[in-house]
Amino acid sequence: MYRTKQSGSGKSSRRDVLQASGALALLGAFPFGAANPARADNGQTIVEMLAWDFQPNTINELVAGWEARGLGKVDLAIIPNLGYSAALQTRLRGGAQIDVYYNFGYNSQKFIREGWAASLNGLPDVDALMADMYESARERHVNAAGDIISVPYFSAVYMLQYNERMLSRAGIESPPQTLWQIYEASKALRSAGIVEAPYRAYWVKEFCEEYLITYLLNEGITPFDAEGAPVFADDPKTRDVFEWWQAMYREELAPKSLLNDDPSKMSTEMAQGDAAFFVFHHYFLTKVRDSAGPETGHVRQSPIGGDNHTLQIGEVLQMGEIESDRTRAAAWDLMKYYGWRDENRKFAVFTQWARAAGLAAPYPDFFTDPDVVAVFPDYYDLPLIAETFKTGSKVVPARTLPWYPTFQLRVGDLVHAMLLGQSTPAQAVGDLADAAVAALRNRTL
Amino acid sequence: MCMDVGRLALARKSDRWFGLQLTAPAGVILGVLLVVPTAMTIVYSFHDVPANVGSLGEFVGLEHYAIILSSEIFWHSVWVTLVFATGFVVLSTVFGLGMALLLNESFVGQGVARALLIIPWATPWLVIGILWRWFVDGSVGGLNALLMHARLIEDYHDFLADPGWALTMTILAAVWRQASFAGILILSGLQTLPKELGEAAAIDGAGSWHRFVYITLPWLRSILITVIVFNVIYAFLQFDVIFAMTQGGPGDATQVLSILIYRQLFGVTNIGLGSALSVLLSLVALAGGLIVVKLVQKREGM
Repeated sequence: MYRTKQSGSGKSSRRDVLQASGALALLGAFPFGAANPARADNGQTIVEMLAWDFQPNTINELVAGWEARGLGKVDLAIIPNLGYSAALQTRLRGGAQIDVYYNFGYNSQKFIREGWAASLNGLPDVDALMADMYESARERHVNAAGDIISVPYFSAVYMLQYNERMLSRAGIESPPQTLWQIYEASKALRSAGIVEAPYRAYWVKEFCEEYLITYLLNEGITPFDAEGAPVFADDPKTRDVFEWWQAMYREELAPKSLLNDDPSKMSTEMAQGDAAFFVFHHYFLTKVRDSAGPETGHVRQSPIGGDNHTLQIGEVLQMGEIESDRTRAAAWDLMKYYGWRDENRKFAVFTQWARAAGLAAPYPDFFTDPDVVAVFPDYYDLPLIAETFKTGSKVVPARTLPWYPTFQLRVGDLVHAMLLGQSTPAQAVGDLADAAVAALRNRTL
Repeated sequence: MCMDVGRLALARKSDRWFGLQLTAPAGVILGVLLVVPTAMTIVYSFHDVPANVGSLGEFVGLEHYAIILSSEIFWHSVWVTLVFATGFVVLSTVFGLGMALLLNESFVGQGVARALLIIPWATPWLVIGILWRWFVDGSVGGLNALLMHARLIEDYHDFLADPGWALTMTILAAVWRQASFAGILILSGLQTLPKELGEAAAIDGAGSWHRFVYITLPWLRSILITVIVFNVIYAFLQFDVIFAMTQGGPGDATQVLSILIYRQLFGVTNIGLGSALSVLLSLVALAGGLIVVKLVQKREGM
């Protein structure tokens, strides 16, 4: 039996209901939210901000602190750190308006090139902000053309954390500084039966590039020239660095699991006395000290590289392309507050980050500010970190060039292959140089 | 009579139209979510698309495909993908079948055991990757403790740092989830198998192995085909578990094509090259699926 329309009865048939539902579903397929969101709330300027989820409560407090100044409100979105770059790019590609956002330093020039980030040239106080910064850090925020592309979110330097008591038991009076000194000290610690595999570093694929640059700088090698050419490959000392790296892994002075371990595990191992050295960002000393273990109190921090340099890293804040002058002014004010000083010229935001996690800011005055000194735990040697920022570290400007992420991705594969014995140190140097050149040409896997 | 036929034809036409109306929303959604992105991906693969996708960029023809097909990285990744897919499909199906057979038997706690079967399947892939990463950890992992206890190893082993073991561990982690899914489907098929068939065969002297081969397996054929096709699809799409456990490492030991695509599309935002890789992965997956279907059809014809 076929169903037919009931005409004139005034009732809706099941067919009518289904047809209406279908029409509604079709309408629902169209994105109502595609229109631009309102940019003002009761006359107040709204600044759209995107951040990753490192201490989200602190971010909320900091943003509330800026809102209290009455210049606008912040529509804050905090998303996971894992996959942040992909999520940010997808949102921007999809046309989302993001006025201020956290970004990884290595992406900053690419975002300018793609029109996702605005140059900060000419904005009020921007020159003063740059002048306030360590010269070593400025290269991260200013590109070769002289455009100011970002302000600091936080900064850190690679340091050596070492167990003073273990070294003393092995008859080592001062912490090693060069790579081969670390090798010798590690062997001595093993021979003395103090610790079997003393060395820790975050050698997962994603971070191998930071260690590559750190180790090259430690040995006084220039990684890239001003044009971004991989001049490290021309320096005979580079092969020595790779031989050291492979020896540390192959001789198990660093545990096999290092290709996969995360820094929290390493911090715990330092606190428990299962490791004697840990090379990573300086603020991880807090993590080691907070891990309640029998060796916690014996872990100290020392610069690496001797008379040479270490790597200075830092993530950044960038400003999106903003049409409205009013919104741009508010966004810039938020950036100054978040990445520099507040209206009282205090490092209010950075002091919070220092208290929360031992993070630093690349400004000389930061390290002498009484508020900052008060919140930094006393186990940090602040003058030493300040000096490392000032003269003992480099940012390596090539790391912010648009092609660099392609090279960075390959470093993990190639370094792991060398550590696993699938290539020799000499081959690895050549492969990395080839990878850098191919990345420069921008058409490579 | 003629009028009846005409009315019937009209009613049938009306019903076809009604059916089209009913499926239109789903059709539009599928078109928007599947057909359009697929077409765009193919178009992108022939262009040097800027990261902001503001335009198609320069037309480069087959250049991306040439770059990919001449790259050792790609061919190694294809090999890893095929090894992963083979291990995943075979083990998921076999373990799923085994679990379903066990859970189809009567025993105390059968209900609880069946409920437990759902847990891995209800756990997100990413969470499974994180759990397994800790489970196989070389210092504190439970797997090492189990193997030590069983005297199968003498010392803790860092499976995920060992290129010989890392891929196996990612396969096992993914199988752990997928086998439960396969088990649920196969169990539902087993419950429709009339007991009389097995009883009659037993009276005729058939042993349990023969009953399994000649009664149970043929009865499950259509469900097994569905399970295998699902497993093949999941095998080639697999990303989360591997990325959470190894990020494709150590070196490139677990770098399946989906990770290579992720790196190109989201790591370095090379849209054109990443799109070409996606097209190639689709072809590899399609070939894998067709081979499985052909093999199954061949066995059915035997």
